[in-house]
Amino acid sequence: MKSEKILYKSSIDVPKLLFEIFMILLSFIILIPFVMMLLGSFKTQQEAIYFNLSLPEKWQFNNYLQVIQEGKIIRSFLNSMLITSSSVTLCLIATALASFVIARRKDRAMSFMMNLFMIGMIAPMSMIPTIRVLQTLHLTGSYLGVILIYMARNIPWSSFIFIKFIKGIPMELDESAIIDGCGPHGTFFKILLPLLKPVTVTTLIIVVMNVWNDFMIPLYFLGNSKKWTMPLTVYNFFGRYAREWNLVFADLIMTALPVVLLYLFCQKYIIAGLTAGSVKG
Amino acid sequence: MEKLMKKRYPSSFIIPAILVFGIFFVLPTVLGFFYSFTNWDIDRSQIQFIGLDNFKYLFSRDEFTVALKNTLIFGIFTAVLKNIIGLLLALGVNKDLRSKNYLRTMFYLPGVLSMIVVGIMFNSIFAMDGMLNNTLEAIGLGMLTTNWLGNKSTAMACIIIMEIWKWSGFHMIIYIAGLQTIPKELLEASTVDGATKWMQFWKVILPLLISSVSINIIIGLIGGFKVFEQVYVLTNGGPGGSTQVLNTLVFQSFSQGLYGRGSAMGLLLFLFITIISLLLNTYLKSKEVDS
Repeated sequence: MKSEKILYKSSIDVPKLLFEIFMILLSFIILIPFVMMLLGSFKTQQEAIYFNLSLPEKWQFNNYLQVIQEGKIIRSFLNSMLITSSSVTLCLIATALASFVIARRKDRAMSFMMNLFMIGMIAPMSMIPTIRVLQTLHLTGSYLGVILIYMARNIPWSSFIFIKFIKGIPMELDESAIIDGCGPHGTFFKILLPLLKPVTVTTLIIVVMNVWNDFMIPLYFLGNSKKWTMPLTVYNFFGRYAREWNLVFADLIMTALPVVLLYLFCQKYIIAGLTAGSVKG
Repeated sequence: MEKLMKKRYPSSFIIPAILVFGIFFVLPTVLGFFYSFTNWDIDRSQIQFIGLDNFKYLFSRDEFTVALKNTLIFGIFTAVLKNIIGLLLALGVNKDLRSKNYLRTMFYLPGVLSMIVVGIMFNSIFAMDGMLNNTLEAIGLGMLTTNWLGNKSTAMACIIIMEIWKWSGFHMIIYIAGLQTIPKELLEASTVDGATKWMQFWKVILPLLISSVSINIIIGLIGGFKVFEQVYVLTNGGPGGSTQVLNTLVFQSFSQGLYGRGSAMGLLLFLFITIISLLLNTYLKSKEVDS
């Protein structure tokens, strides 16, 4: 059945088939470095430096064990988990609350806030003065300092997406809630919050990726290597083991794996988030 | 009425967001403005106001003007190329292909990785004994091998290629979203009218995509001007400062404890990105209304 269908189709659509083959070959450009890395991570040091796609002569699972022991992978994984989960949770709570008010009220203070957030979305962070702020608050080199910075960095565009979404929810809903005797808190927590679920999931996943992958903020603000996140640890590992590509590859695979899995499972939400702010209407 | 709104939507709900954003973004930005005019550095307990000295110093240094130029080149080149490739990929993937979902997943995959992971990976490609040189040797083009990252004329190109590899898929996603808002009937109508694919693209698709183009250009430029990890991991500004960008210089002055001078550079980067983006945004918005 199926082959018949393909035959029938291909008899009219040879250019399309060729085009599809071309696109698939193109996608291999992206896959090749991944495959090379994956295979390389199971090779010996001598084999790995050929950087090719051949299978390892003997699979060196020990590479991974060695990296786990020497690369501080577990420690940095836990650090990344702690920093990411806290900053994402706090960011989403603050964003949902603020967006509710900004989206509903149409006064000058709120449009000022929107403009401020707009600049926050565009402008780079002033790294060095931020150090001064952390010093003053006695947060230098602490998890809390980094968590709050990530929160601040991600609030603007998260609110942007939330506000857009809330504006799509009819205001009559709030009104009827108030007639039914809900106060502002009731209206938000009982009526609006459940409706925000899809936009929350989407924003959550994108903020998780932003924070998890970030390198610059821990580089500037986390001096103590015990608190380092995965990207910082992997960079440091690369510096020390620059000639041992098999180990570097194993380290890279372990660092990339959590995000790649998250991406493959949550694609729908990631793409929704990327497009949410960009399509008109 | 306004009172009622305030009662119904209490200002207290904004406090956590505005507090954190205010303290950790707005305040440092304002402080940066102030520190840019001081001689604050690591061994000074008292900081003094020194006027425009930091800026005068910066603009008198080749290192800085080269970094400024590199940041501009990197931002503009990558924004244009990421957009062209992203749009082509979107047009390709938007067709009714069996592998459509696989292709979209693959093309965006690099976008989810940490730039550091991507950077180290590209190190293994561009290194002297790396994948690129090995491949060139293997296919008999050994005379083309060079130290890609250690060569002044190729180092920046390597960083640009990596950036394009990483982000083209991201721009593709935004273009796909834009393409899906174009009504099918419009395309069919133009085909019936005898428009070739080429004419259809220029006369129908592109004008309707203009809002996606502007958002993509702005995102691409902002991302490009903020370049840091890309350079830090591939060349760290070398060889001979040829790939130095503003953010790597800011980090260097930070590590040397030259905070005032670093703040001045940070301020320039802030003004530079904000003003360009706001101007561009206004300009492109006016274009959208026209079309």
